Amino acid sequence: MEKKEFLDALMAAVVDGEEEDSAAAAQAALDAGLDPLTLVNEAIQKPLEKVGKDFENGDCYLPELILVGDAARAASDVIMPHISAEDMAGSLQGKVVIGVVSGDLHDIGKNIVAAFLAAQGLKVVDLGTDVSPKEFVETVVRENAEYLIISTLLSTSRPFYRQIVQLLEARNKRTETFVLVGGGPVTPKWAAEIGADGYGRDAKDAVDLCRLLSDMVQKPPLSEPILVNALS
Amino acid sequence: MEQKPDIVEILRRTQEGEYCDLKEWDVKRIPRTVRAMLKKYNLQGVCDKQSPVNLDMELADTFYKAGFELALELGMLCEATERIVRVSEEELSSALKFAPSELTLGFGKDARVMKARTPEDPYPCMFGASLGITVTEEVYSLLTEGIARQLEVDFLEGGSLATVNGLDVLPGTPSETLLGYVQGRKHREIRKAAGRVGMPGIGNISAVTEFGQFCYGTEGNFYNTDLSLILFPSELKINYQTLHKVVHTLAMDGLVFAGSPAMIGGMPGPAEGAVLSCIACALLQYPILQRSVGGGEIYDIRYMSNVNREGLWALSMTHQALSRNTNILTHGIANEVSGPGTAAFLYEILVGVAIIAASGASFSTGPRAAGGKLTDYLSPLECRFCAEVAHAASGWELSKVKEMAEHFLPKYEAAIKDPDVGKPVKEVWDLENFKPLPEAEAVYRQVKKEAIDFGFPLDEY
Repeated sequence: MEKKEFLDALMAAVVDGEEEDSAAAAQAALDAGLDPLTLVNEAIQKPLEKVGKDFENGDCYLPELILVGDAARAASDVIMPHISAEDMAGSLQGKVVIGVVSGDLHDIGKNIVAAFLAAQGLKVVDLGTDVSPKEFVETVVRENAEYLIISTLLSTSRPFYRQIVQLLEARNKRTETFVLVGGGPVTPKWAAEIGADGYGRDAKDAVDLCRLLSDMVQKPPLSEPILVNALS
Repeated sequence: MEQKPDIVEILRRTQEGEYCDLKEWDVKRIPRTVRAMLKKYNLQGVCDKQSPVNLDMELADTFYKAGFELALELGMLCEATERIVRVSEEELSSALKFAPSELTLGFGKDARVMKARTPEDPYPCMFGASLGITVTEEVYSLLTEGIARQLEVDFLEGGSLATVNGLDVLPGTPSETLLGYVQGRKHREIRKAAGRVGMPGIGNISAVTEFGQFCYGTEGNFYNTDLSLILFPSELKINYQTLHKVVHTLAMDGLVFAGSPAMIGGMPGPAEGAVLSCIACALLQYPILQRSVGGGEIYDIRYMSNVNREGLWALSMTHQALSRNTNILTHGIANEVSGPGTAAFLYEILVGVAIIAASGASFSTGPRAAGGKLTDYLSPLECRFCAEVAHAASGWELSKVKEMAEHFLPKYEAAIKDPDVGKPVKEVWDLENFKPLPEAEAVYRQVKKEAIDFGFPLDEY
């Protein structure tokens, strides 16, 4: 098998959203001696960028976005340990805990954000919906996550955001974890009120926020949230 | 003989149905089954992305057939147990046959009769206002009374409260139970204060979990002649919060008003897939959630709206399909994105609500001022306009509605992704005197004049 064929096989598995096939194709490509960074850039990053653009343009839909994201993550998990620290510069690193707060079972927005973040190389721990403040914070502690992303579509579930931030402080993790908030009823004003570090309207904003924060020297909590594409 | 499964049987099926992992349901089962059904009925790519209203009734009937088959094939997933609740063809047909096609809601002189309609039906599409936009306790009572005082508005819903006596309401905790009782009581007092004691209500919009819904049908709270609002997640998913509310509503001898939007761009894929999912969801709620009213909500996740062309097409197709082929009491929402005091908001209402009403929906609620994102961004003036449009569009020809939509869409569609969110209630509405402030009234008069000049049969203000 030619090197290009290994690359194509990995890309095909990612594009098809096949998790196990992607991991296997990644391992096969590594075993064949392909450069890990080339695999990431050519066979993982490109399909991810394409599916992201297609989704925004209405040419592909949420299931594809999630499946391709999952497949990319599976391949990345195999490849990333083989990439040197200097080669990793430029891609996002770290761990994100994400979920929808208690009382809310709407998960579409959160799923899109999780898929976009995974696509950028972040390790995403997705807690799903109806997540209690305690579960959020315990997961952040257990996973040692750099970012906590909280979402809801319901204004009536919004008060839990404040509880999560307060609990994070009580567990002495606030100085190690950036808290990013979004969701239908969440505004920049609310983000500032509860002491969040960032606010975004959509998945692209979430990626931009993580990128901005990862480049910052300042540690959390920030004196005021970074607002990306804010709605007044 | 009636074959509709009762609630006990449904609860049993949430324990004994086929197991399906939630993620498998969302990203594989739904998209693959929808895709297969679109292919089987040759419905792929039939959405004309430039046309906001479907005029092909045969196509609407084909969508109905495919949606019915999809309902039988998929059923609904109970998230709590990850079991699929399915119904047989006989059960589904029976549930639809025995579903109410006419309901008197509210009581006395203020009661309203909701009927199953067909496209271009002259019987008025009922309108309920508003949606659950968060409002502060400071303005809640006067704002909601202002809405109730708009005689064009048939049903009173009102905004959502996020605090009770200054306390943040946390869903699933006693503060939510308390909020339910407080809001239920206020809702009655407001209708009385507005001189419409028997006006049908919708409760309880602030109930995220079952705890906020336990007020429904109890002494001094929402009447059992009001609609019991029960929202649940898309696509085709139910949970025990939903079923708690159903059980409670039935125990109160009340009326289940359930809803869950199908998402264009979401798990069912394109607009055509979302229409199929929406039809299936509308049908399945009759046997599974024992619903009296509802079904027909559809959004576009790229905009979290449906007043864009594809969203409007999907709304028109869904309601035509359901109203031509069933006698159920359907419900549609126009999800506006602009806010109070802006002309764009009124254009969005004009186009969205007119399409829903002319396509045969029995009932519509709204508006979704400023996309429902901002606290206190809601005013009775736009609630009134919604109801005026719903009534005026009832009986109007779909071809005329299409012409009107094509005329007014260019006035707002470029700004859907970055809308003017308008102003909070105090800047557009005189709360104490129940009337619009001059600037907002002028905008309202101007848009209304434009609609009347176009030929839309609105009354002068």
